[in-house]
Order: sequence, then structure tokens, then C-alpha cells
Amino acid sequence: MNTLKIGENTFELAQIIIKDLKASENIGILKCIQCGMCTSLCPAARHTDYDPREIVKRVLDKDESLITDDIIWNCFYCYTCHSVCPVNNSACEVNQILRQKAIDNGKGKPKIAPFSAYGDSFLEYGLGAIPNDFFDHLLKDYGKEWLQLKVDLEDIREELGLGPILLPEKDVNDINKILEKTGFTKRLERVRRCKDEGNSR
Amino acid sequence: MKEIPDKEILLFKSCLVNVEYPGVESSTRFLFDKLGIEYIVSERQSCCTGLGHYSDLFDQFSTAALAARNFGIARELGHKNIATLCATCYAILKKSGNILNKQDHIRDSINKILDDSGVPDLKYNLEDMDSRSNIFHAVEILYNKVDEIQDLVEVDLSEIKVAAHHACHYCKVHHKDTIGNVRDPMVMETLARACGVQTVNWYDRKTNTCGNGFRQRYMNKDLSFSITAEKLMSLKENEVDILLHMCPNCQLQFDRNQKVIGESFGTEFNIICLNVSQFLALALGADPYKVVGIQTHTVPVEPILDKIKQIIHAYEV
Repeated sequence: MNTLKIGENTFELAQIIIKDLKASENIGILKCIQCGMCTSLCPAARHTDYDPREIVKRVLDKDESLITDDIIWNCFYCYTCHSVCPVNNSACEVNQILRQKAIDNGKGKPKIAPFSAYGDSFLEYGLGAIPNDFFDHLLKDYGKEWLQLKVDLEDIREELGLGPILLPEKDVNDINKILEKTGFTKRLERVRRCKDEGNSR
Repeated sequence: MKEIPDKEILLFKSCLVNVEYPGVESSTRFLFDKLGIEYIVSERQSCCTGLGHYSDLFDQFSTAALAARNFGIARELGHKNIATLCATCYAILKKSGNILNKQDHIRDSINKILDDSGVPDLKYNLEDMDSRSNIFHAVEILYNKVDEIQDLVEVDLSEIKVAAHHACHYCKVHHKDTIGNVRDPMVMETLARACGVQTVNWYDRKTNTCGNGFRQRYMNKDLSFSITAEKLMSLKENEVDILLHMCPNCQLQFDRNQKVIGESFGTEFNIICLNVSQFLALALGADPYKVVGIQTHTVPVEPILDKIKQIIHAYEV
């Protein structure tokens, strides 16, 4: 059980979250009255042990074990909780920030490693894409017509009168320079390394 | 209601529209052209980072920096009203706009990065973009022209029943800027009704997420599908022919996965998925293959075309 010491700032974790760039202006974590509106409409709560009200309570209790708790990875980021909260809190944003903390401390990196190819695509083309690692798995569910679509895509786009998907080379280079300076490129390398380690295990 | 522009619009391309449902872009362009909405598309625009952002791979600072670059391009082109084809682009850009306007030190750091990256012309000036009055979903631009759309309808759709899936990242993220009631959005039903189609205005699970949940579709497929199935069941009970979309990720979830979800429940749904632009383009007489792009859909759209043809035929006889 999480215990608090006398004189300890119990709101420390909440305050860290409030200051995070991802947190909406005036996010109402400290105003949470545990009414449970968030949980009542949460799709993840309906099907798993995830409970947004409990997540917020643990944040307010400064329960840092939350960061390494697998439960935070169940949120759908649908923002339903965020849209109904009577005090402008957002369990969804709290969750996103907790996951970033988990990624920063290393424990969350294996969780996002399967998505690293999205970053590769972004650096190569300036465009997002469903990570190609999932292709075979998706093909099984989507059916072989989907594969044919990939083959025919250029022709179909032409038939629809749409221009090229690819950005000019100079713009892709600019995007790479920007992402190197924001720290994304290094971050992606670390995630990729984690993926390679996972694969060799 | 917020003021919605009909000119100086940058139609913001979407990664999933590009490769999965390109007909969403061509349909939107068809409608904008018909309605006299002045817009451009830029080959320089990058993606918003959405799928990477919400699978936690992208950090907020990098996402905001790329948004600043795209905002700079829109400003340079003299088209600073952005209309997105995807609900996640909409949410991401609005969030980034708010950060750039309200957090001075972040804006300064990003501007220094743009400067150092050789694109000082794309630097973000305070209040360049207003999240509420410059960043829109394309559906809002169309909603503003609903009366004009009504006058342009060319086919009889009265035998068809549609329901709408208003994307979470349109309705719920920046809920104060959403048109109508966030708990019972009617933007797409209003547009559909203008075309003379029957709409199911409320159905059980109407405001549910599509179930994609970014990482969830790929890492927790059963959980993801159980959410999608709830909505599909409700739509089936309501005998819906077409589910209208405003987000390619939701459309992908309901269209591409529908068969395999049906199989696991021992049923067939046969619910056609169309972006609301694709639906309106059909209603305004656009070619199903050369404009609407139904050839990229998994649940065949043809049965509905047959229905439309039959109706026209009945009138001719």
C-alpha cells in the first residue's frame, strides 16, 4: 500500500502532470471529486480493469507505481472522459503524460517499440504510415483485396485526379533537420534499439 | 456557433486518406468546387504526426514544431484557414495552435529550431493561427453550406438509411469548439438529411469510440474489436445501410475489420462505410469510381449504387 509521510507534498505527481506540455490549460486534476463520470463512459473500463477515476485518485495520492503499472496502457485516447468531466479534468491526458514518464524511465519503451516504423516513415517521407511490421497481421484480417489496393494505389489516385503523395526532397530534408533538433530523431533511435533487443531475445 | 470560412482554405491532406481512402479527398474537392469554396492543397505539407503521436511515439514538442512548420506554409500561401480530412489532424493542429499561442518559451524554442533548420520564413508569430477561427474539419466547411448542398442533390436516396459516427477526436478533444451537442452530435445527420436520406439520429453506443484506440488495434486486438462490435451490433439492430464517417481511422476500423468481427460473432453486418464527403458527392451525382473512389473500400459499396439506380429507374417507368 502507498503510504504518505507527514509533511510530504501529496500533490507532487499531480503538479508535475499539470505542468506538462501535454496537459490542457487549466486541467482540473486538483478539482477531481471522484464522481466517476469518466469511468461510467470509458470503453476500456467496460472491458478491462482500467478505471480512469482510480487513475486520477492514484495520481492525487502520489502513487508513482502507476507509471510502471501496465494498466495505463489500456486507455483508447478517445477523450470521452475528458469531454464529460464536470471539473475540466482529463484522465485521458493524465494517461498520456504517465505513458511519457514510463517511456522516459525506460519501462515504457518496449511498449512503443512496435510503432517505431511510423517514425522511420516520417523521417524518410515526412508522412505517417501504419507501421509495416503490422502488414502481414492486417492482411490476414483485411483480406487479399487490400494487398491489391496497395498495388493499384497509384493508378487509382491518378483516376481520382489526385496529385503525388510524396513531398519535395527539400521539405523532407527540412523536416529531418527540425526533428533532429527537437530531439525526436534521438528518441526514435533509442526506441528502435529497444525493438532490436526485443527481437534478438 | 463559430464562424466558418469559405475561402483562403488549405485543405490539409491526411496520411490514411492518401493511401486507404483517397476518394475522401477527391470527393471533398468535388464538393468544394461545386460549392465555390476557394481552397488549395500544398505538396509541402507534412503529416500531423497523429498516428505516431497517439501511439506515444511522438512527443508533444516535436508534434507542435511540425505544426508550426505547416502553419507557416499555410500563411505563406495566403491560405491560413485549415480544413482537415481527418479528426485526429483536427485535434492535433488545434492543440498545437493553442500551445504556440499560449506558451511563449515553447514558441521561442520552436522558432529557434525553424531558424536553425534553414526555414526562418516559416517561423510562428504569436496569434498566426487561432485554434477556433482558423482550424476546422472539412465537414464543418460543408455544414456551413448545407442549404446550397440541398439545392444541388441529383439522385433520390429516400430508400436508404444512414447513421453517423462522429469521430471522438472531432467531438471530444476540443469539445467547446464542436458544433452542436457533444453528447449527441448531429453535424453529419444534418448534412445527410439535406440529401433526402433517412437518418437514424440516435442509436445505442452512438458516441462510442470506433475502438481503434491507436495502439489497441495493433497490440490488443480482441479488446479493440469488442468495442467496435458493440457499435456494429447496434447499427445492425437499427437496420442501417450506410455508416457515415469523418475520420479515416474510424472508417478503416469499421470497414476493413467488419468481416472478421462479424465472423467472430457468427454474423454478417454488411454496413457500408462512407466518409460524409463521399456520401454527399454521390448525392450530387459524382462518379462512384472516378470521384468517390469506392474501389478502395472493403465492404462493397455497389449494393447501394444498385439501390440508387433502381430508384431512378422506377421514376423513369
